[in-house]
Amino acid sequence: MPYIEFKNVCKEYKMGEVKIKALENANFSIEKGELVVIVGPSGAGKTTALNILGGMDVATSGEVIVDGKKVTKLTNKELIKYRREDIGFVFQFYNLVQNLTAKENVELATQICKNALNPEEVIEKVGLKDRKNNFPSQLSGGEQQRIAIARAIAKNPKLLLCDEPTGALDYKTGKQILKLLQDMARKENMTVIIITHNTALAPMADKVIHFKNGTAEKIEINERATPIEQIEW
Amino acid sequence: MKKALLKDSVKEIKNTYKKFISILLMAFLGVGFFAGLRASSPDMIDTIDKYYKEQHVYDIQILSTLGLTNQDVEEISKIENVEKVYGTYETDGKIEIENKEIVAKVLTIEEINTPKLLQGRMPENEQECLVEENFLKENNKQIGDTILIEIENTTNDEGEAIEYLKQKELKIVGTARSPLYISRDRGTSSLGAGKVNYYIYIPESNINATDIYTNIYVKVANADKYTTSTKEYEDYIETVKDNIENIKEQRETARKEQLVEKANEKLQEAENELNTQKQEAETQIQDAEKKLQDGRKEIEDGEAEIESNKKKADTEFANAEKEIENAKKEIEENEKRLQIKEQEANKRFEQLEAQKQGLQANLEQINSGIAELQAQYEILLKKIENGETLTEQEEQQKLYIEGQLQTLEQTQQKLVVGITEIENGINKGKQEIQNGKDQIQQGKAKLETQEKQLNKTKTSTYNQIEDAKNELENAKQEIIDGEQELEKNKQEYEQKIEDAEAKLLDAKEEVNDIEKPEWYILDRNANSGYVSFIQDTESIENISQVFPIVFFAVAALISLTSMTRMVEEQRMEIGTLKALGYNKLQIISKYIIYASLASIIGGIIGMCVGFATLPAIIWEMYSMMYQMTDKIALSFNWKYGGIGLILICICIIGATIYSAVKELKSMPATLMRPKAPKKGSRVLLEKIPFIWKHLNFSQKVTIRNIFRYKKRVLMTIVGIAGCTALILTGFGLKDSIKAILPNQYEKVFNYDLEISIKDEVEQQEKQDFINNLSANEKTEKLVETHMLSSVAVKDQNEEDVQIIVPKDDLQGLINLRDVKTKNEIQLSNNEICLTDKVAQLLGVESGDTIILRDTDSNEYEVKISNIVENYVYHYVYMSKEMYENLFQKPYETNVVLTKNVEFTEEQEDEFVTELMEQKEISAVSRVSSTMTILDDTLNSLDYVVVILIGAAGMLAFVVLYNLANVNISERERELATIKVLGFYDNEVYNYIGRESILLTIIGIAIGLIGGYFLNFYIIGTCEINMLRFSKIVHPISYLYAILITIAFTIIVNILTYFALKKIDMIESLKSVE
Repeated sequence: MPYIEFKNVCKEYKMGEVKIKALENANFSIEKGELVVIVGPSGAGKTTALNILGGMDVATSGEVIVDGKKVTKLTNKELIKYRREDIGFVFQFYNLVQNLTAKENVELATQICKNALNPEEVIEKVGLKDRKNNFPSQLSGGEQQRIAIARAIAKNPKLLLCDEPTGALDYKTGKQILKLLQDMARKENMTVIIITHNTALAPMADKVIHFKNGTAEKIEINERATPIEQIEW
Repeated sequence: MKKALLKDSVKEIKNTYKKFISILLMAFLGVGFFAGLRASSPDMIDTIDKYYKEQHVYDIQILSTLGLTNQDVEEISKIENVEKVYGTYETDGKIEIENKEIVAKVLTIEEINTPKLLQGRMPENEQECLVEENFLKENNKQIGDTILIEIENTTNDEGEAIEYLKQKELKIVGTARSPLYISRDRGTSSLGAGKVNYYIYIPESNINATDIYTNIYVKVANADKYTTSTKEYEDYIETVKDNIENIKEQRETARKEQLVEKANEKLQEAENELNTQKQEAETQIQDAEKKLQDGRKEIEDGEAEIESNKKKADTEFANAEKEIENAKKEIEENEKRLQIKEQEANKRFEQLEAQKQGLQANLEQINSGIAELQAQYEILLKKIENGETLTEQEEQQKLYIEGQLQTLEQTQQKLVVGITEIENGINKGKQEIQNGKDQIQQGKAKLETQEKQLNKTKTSTYNQIEDAKNELENAKQEIIDGEQELEKNKQEYEQKIEDAEAKLLDAKEEVNDIEKPEWYILDRNANSGYVSFIQDTESIENISQVFPIVFFAVAALISLTSMTRMVEEQRMEIGTLKALGYNKLQIISKYIIYASLASIIGGIIGMCVGFATLPAIIWEMYSMMYQMTDKIALSFNWKYGGIGLILICICIIGATIYSAVKELKSMPATLMRPKAPKKGSRVLLEKIPFIWKHLNFSQKVTIRNIFRYKKRVLMTIVGIAGCTALILTGFGLKDSIKAILPNQYEKVFNYDLEISIKDEVEQQEKQDFINNLSANEKTEKLVETHMLSSVAVKDQNEEDVQIIVPKDDLQGLINLRDVKTKNEIQLSNNEICLTDKVAQLLGVESGDTIILRDTDSNEYEVKISNIVENYVYHYVYMSKEMYENLFQKPYETNVVLTKNVEFTEEQEDEFVTELMEQKEISAVSRVSSTMTILDDTLNSLDYVVVILIGAAGMLAFVVLYNLANVNISERERELATIKVLGFYDNEVYNYIGRESILLTIIGIAIGLIGGYFLNFYIIGTCEINMLRFSKIVHPISYLYAILITIAFTIIVNILTYFALKKIDMIESLKSVE
């Protein structure tokens, strides 16, 4: 049984009279410790799938199982608990709390988790030990994203979900972030799912899921994932 | 303006209708409150103005201590700008209903101050009347019932008592409202329990005593052009008042002269009468004396006459008697003579008788010869007759016989004649004697009658004389009686005249004592109901000047945050437009249109609603205290509406322009990039590690956040503080006002009754009355005082004060305490104590001097020793010694204050009624009823509290809700983030709720302080001149303010909780705004 299972997941949005199907029978599975990249054009349903997986959204039908937990069956409160304990999110625009220092942003996450990691250590891990007392506005984009990642992983989640983590970053910084994520998966054996519209990144993943028109159209498995340093785009 | 932009503006409104509505609501509240509250006072004044105009209420009223006359009316009519002058009659009467004695003010229905008919109809004749509504309700009477009203007789100028009314039994035909009594207070009376309970209206035709008017009411020409109580009105009336003031002296004198003249006339009349009576009496006495004199003389004359008459009678009678005696003698002589004659005659008669008898014998012989012859002749004749022829012899015989016969017969005849002659002779002699005898007899009889007559006359004459004597005797007695009576009458007359003269003298003195009457020229400000109404409108006016400011400030702040937020949210669009080449004005115009529409629509709706509701609500509240029209005269007050709208537009549009311009300064490129979220920064507190370290993470976050959104935090605090302050002010106001009564009537004045004694009561009676009252078991303490009205003057300021001069110790019935030190004060012999409020109004302190002006305009300069505590009305206290020195008058008690044993209301009623029956008393004022009246008035302030709390609540709600919304929308991303991180709903709420709680606490704390001061500010502005509000706020009021504020924040926070729950993580995080 795979660690994460997406079975016939459908998601419909009602826009007035019109129903938009964001997901239509999406099926895929992910193993524990895998680094997964989800690629596809805009509107293909990547983010929707990630949101459902992360407990931020609920599926209209179908089943999502994470580590034996049926996410689709959770109540609202259980969903919060699921997000709180099992999920780490990284967004394109970092979404750091501006009023909190780097360390505090991490603490924001750790204080609500039972088996959270030590914030200082996590920050050290992302290489920002010296900047931990800086406010987000005092940090560069890449640094902010690193803090965002630190905040996500400090909770010691089962899943690290990243939605376009490099979308707002330049090439070099983006690369550094992806390196961090790849390292997380490799070294910490964390299951990491990255959404990107940049297919060039596909080789870095253990598994590449191609989304199109709301379904996982193609799933590739890289037996040998390429380290990010070797990928050029 | 480009069409696209306009469209965009409209669409913007559609999209952000919540924000639009919230700004609109602020404009609505701001303008509504401002305009509505501001208009309340003018509307109330308009209402009373309209009512007064409809009921033709006087502009100036004139009262006089000696009544007013038609001449006064005429004189006043001549004054410039006086439209019409009305002389009217007003007095108090007693009505007894079910053993209850009611005092009613009896008014006449006039063209001026016309009562407003509520039910029934106007009286059509003298026997009908109108009463006030409460009269029916409270006495179980109905229209159609009859009441008996008793009014004391009045005295006319001639000093005669006159029935006041023609008809005492009056039928109630309707109910009416008097414009003269708009408040519940009906004034005091010298009747019954000293208080007027109701007014009743009667037609003027029922007034019997029409000589003297009690009141003159003046309608000033063109005064209707002005609104009552406005400065223009007051100034205008003042000019006419001044003109009346100018003739005051002259009219007063004229009235006095009129009275003096009338009294003098009467006096003259009385004097004249006295004189005529005197004269009459004298003539009568003289007459009587003369008569007596005459009587005496007559008696004397009568006596003399009687004497002479008697004498005359005596002689006369003596003569007569003599004559009669003579006559008697003569008759006796004649008798003797006659007797002799008779004797002679009788001798002769015997001779003659003898002759006669001889003759007689002859005759008889002859007669027998004749008879023989005759018998022979007869035989012969018989033979002839028998036809026998007579023989010659016979013939011869016959012839012979015949011849014989003839001769015999001749002899016979001769004999008969001879006898007859003798007989005649005898008869003749006898006759003569008889005649003589008869004559004597006749003479005797005559004499006898004469004698009898004489005797009779004599008796009657003497009787008459005797009678006359008796009569005279009686007359003499009568004269003696008459003399005695005359003496008595004389004495009586003298006494009477003496009395009358004494009376006249008294009357003359009285005439001299006629005092000049005093005129009181009053305007509407002398009507207590009117004054309190106007004061109430002023209080509202004062409040309306303060509270809307809070609303405007909040409206401005709210719009500032909302619009700033909106502009920030649309920086991309602004940037785009700017990039497209729209100029600043065009871009801003969208927001200006947006804000203008919100503020104008909101403002217009607000002013409409405000004008329509707030004055009406306030009116509704006040209408419980005032009896006027049921509906307030609502008007669309363009001035306040306009000002409100302009102010709100300045606030909202200003805030909008400010925030838009701030954004527009940036370059288009910057604008098109997402705005860097507000930078985080360390707060000062972090530099104090001692505190910072002890805070947990969420506390730190909260504190950081508070300092991050300074503007919003400030506004929240202001909003909450405002709310708390308003509520505290509301309650504090009530506390302050409610404290007046116990403060004044328990702390300062501690007596139950204030008994005024009539001026004219003699010293001894007064003292007896006081002693009796003091000895009464129901009287606990008694203090004698002298009270007088005066005016306290300092520079330009003047205030009416009551001077109280205690006879000796106040015994705690009035407590004089220094307002600052709170120490008990003793009155000094050369300085006064002045009460707190009037000292403030005059701007004086202890040690200063003020001028006291008495009712005769004499001025006295006095020094203030202490300012003393007092809460109602103004008083000056001075010692008896000082009074006597200052006014140069001996001290005289005129008011007695008593503290009584515990009374129920009925017992007090009874006691007061008993007191009022005593003739020495002119009025009894009861602290309990004063307190009830004041309490009623002060209760109306509850509504002010309600208004304040309502306003505060609305304010708090709008502010907090708005701020919470802005807060949430501004931090939506942040909140979504923590939601994604797995914060539970309550944790999310706490994340900002903690801020809210902290701000609420701070706000409340500031609000309590602010409220404390706002309360005093309001008290200062609302304080009625006559009253001193206590500066106290009860702890419970603080608690109320806190609890109510918390309640409002809880409501807002509950709403916030649900708003937070609704935040959509995906939408919020999807893209950069």
